[in-house]
Amino acid sequence: MALTSARLLTRTVHEKWICAHSLTLRPLVCINKAAFYGEYRRPGQAQDRTPPWKKIRFSFAKGVQGIRKHFGLLKDEAMERWVGPQGRPLIEHMLEQTRVQWEFRGPESLEQWLVSTDREIGGRSEAYLKLGRNDSACMLYGTLCSTPPRDGETCYSGYCTLRSRQLLSSFDRKKNIDWSSFNTLYIRLRGDGRPWMINIAAETYFSHQKDDLYNYFLYTRGGPYWQDVKIPFSKFFLSSRGRIQDNQHPLWLDKVSTIGFTLGDKADGPFQLEIDFIAVCNDRAHTEEFAYEMYKRNPEV
Amino acid sequence: WFLAWMGLEINTMAIIPLMAQQHHPRATEATTKYFLTQATAAAMILFASTMNAWTMGDWNINQISHPLATTTVTLALALKIGLAPMHFWLPEVLQGLNLTTGLVLSTWQKLAPFALILQISQNTNPALLTTLGVMSALVGGWGGLNQTQLRKLLAYSSIAHLGWMIIILQFMPALTLLNLTIYITMTSTMFLSLKIMASTKINSLALAWPKTPTLTTLIMLSLLSLGGLPPLTGFMPKWLILQELAKQDLPITATIMAMSALLSLFFYLR
Repeated sequence: MALTSARLLTRTVHEKWICAHSLTLRPLVCINKAAFYGEYRRPGQAQDRTPPWKKIRFSFAKGVQGIRKHFGLLKDEAMERWVGPQGRPLIEHMLEQTRVQWEFRGPESLEQWLVSTDREIGGRSEAYLKLGRNDSACMLYGTLCSTPPRDGETCYSGYCTLRSRQLLSSFDRKKNIDWSSFNTLYIRLRGDGRPWMINIAAETYFSHQKDDLYNYFLYTRGGPYWQDVKIPFSKFFLSSRGRIQDNQHPLWLDKVSTIGFTLGDKADGPFQLEIDFIAVCNDRAHTEEFAYEMYKRNPEV
Repeated sequence: WFLAWMGLEINTMAIIPLMAQQHHPRATEATTKYFLTQATAAAMILFASTMNAWTMGDWNINQISHPLATTTVTLALALKIGLAPMHFWLPEVLQGLNLTTGLVLSTWQKLAPFALILQISQNTNPALLTTLGVMSALVGGWGGLNQTQLRKLLAYSSIAHLGWMIIILQFMPALTLLNLTIYITMTSTMFLSLKIMASTKINSLALAWPKTPTLTTLIMLSLLSLGGLPPLTGFMPKWLILQELAKQDLPITATIMAMSALLSLFFYLR
């Protein structure tokens, strides 16, 4: 009896602690137990314990195709080296002041992009990507729904994102984009008045940096006219897992991985964003290195 | 060997805070990579020297004679200075640092390992030294092509020059020392000039001539000297090394080294 009372007491104290803790901190996800860092599983979904060798689907034809493709890419890379950086003559690299990195001119351009919504966590938002009229722009459209999934854990929902795929070189090695000659992001788009967030991911090294993104706001005007947005890279601030970091630093442009657009303005309903091209340019008048204070925390008195 | 190992470790530990002072993830990454490579090399040196002491009973640096110990120490020192094929860390580490720390890494940090290399040169496997030298010269030339980041370019330049120093070590260590001295002088000139101009990319060099014509001329001459173009100083060690290789009946090696120097000269001239 004493043991049962003690167990009841500890359980009550423990539950009260969790309740108080979650109320004061208000995390993005209401968790009852510590989630393993970097691993997200839908509530109720069992951990995947299949050993890796059982996941292999061996196909000889695919293997030969893959070998041919990768060795072809390797040969192209070796030949490109004799031409210049990234396969273009050095004089082009030295003189270029603008570069269109992504433009939507055909169905193959849509394959470089990934669309995702909160459906992955059980939400009800929808997003689709298609080519616009005359194959001259892409249109990201859909519906946001901020009703959280009823899984007992998720508190917030209602987002969608369009992100470029990681570029790969031969043998699926990561290839990064070098934008160090430029200082401004230039996008031509047409929105519906909703506020978006531009996310740039750079190459990272440590595992705790894998969710690091450099963000800035994108306010669309809506209306029939195209909008030219120029955002200097010095304005991008660092966030990790959606939270702005105290220790800020500028984005280094020599190893950019992906760019993405996220909508999460807590407004339910349809949305639409057309993008003509995404480019970078060098604005000589912009000399700012970083827009935010890099103050020292706990300075010496 | 034990005291030498301690000195190398202290040397590594001392430069780590200098490298990480920039408080940027790329600087931290560079520092971590540098620490891991240097610690690995130092551990290999300790292992090889202990093995030599166990088998031969001698801790003296220039008395290392066990073949496996000598090979291990040579490879460890090659990893320390960034000789091919243990060079992969050098461009990435230099790219993550500012120009001043990069200067220290390219010049001062080479002195201690070279002091050891010079002392063990007579006991080292000649074929290993030749292989390391030729590979470094070729990798330095090939890797430097199409580099647009100046720090990476200087890293590959460093690899190539180290190849030249190593290849002549077994025949005439004095030439290695001469080459090292001239390399340190030229690299210091380059780094300090780039620091004054605050430029880390080729593009900014292209626009420098109206702003600082004298400094631009100096940079150009330093690059040509690094490339080994006569009548600049950088030509002298290369010429002497090729001459010595020819005297030692190694014409093919000399030809390969000369061809790789042409590769390096190509990207310096651009």
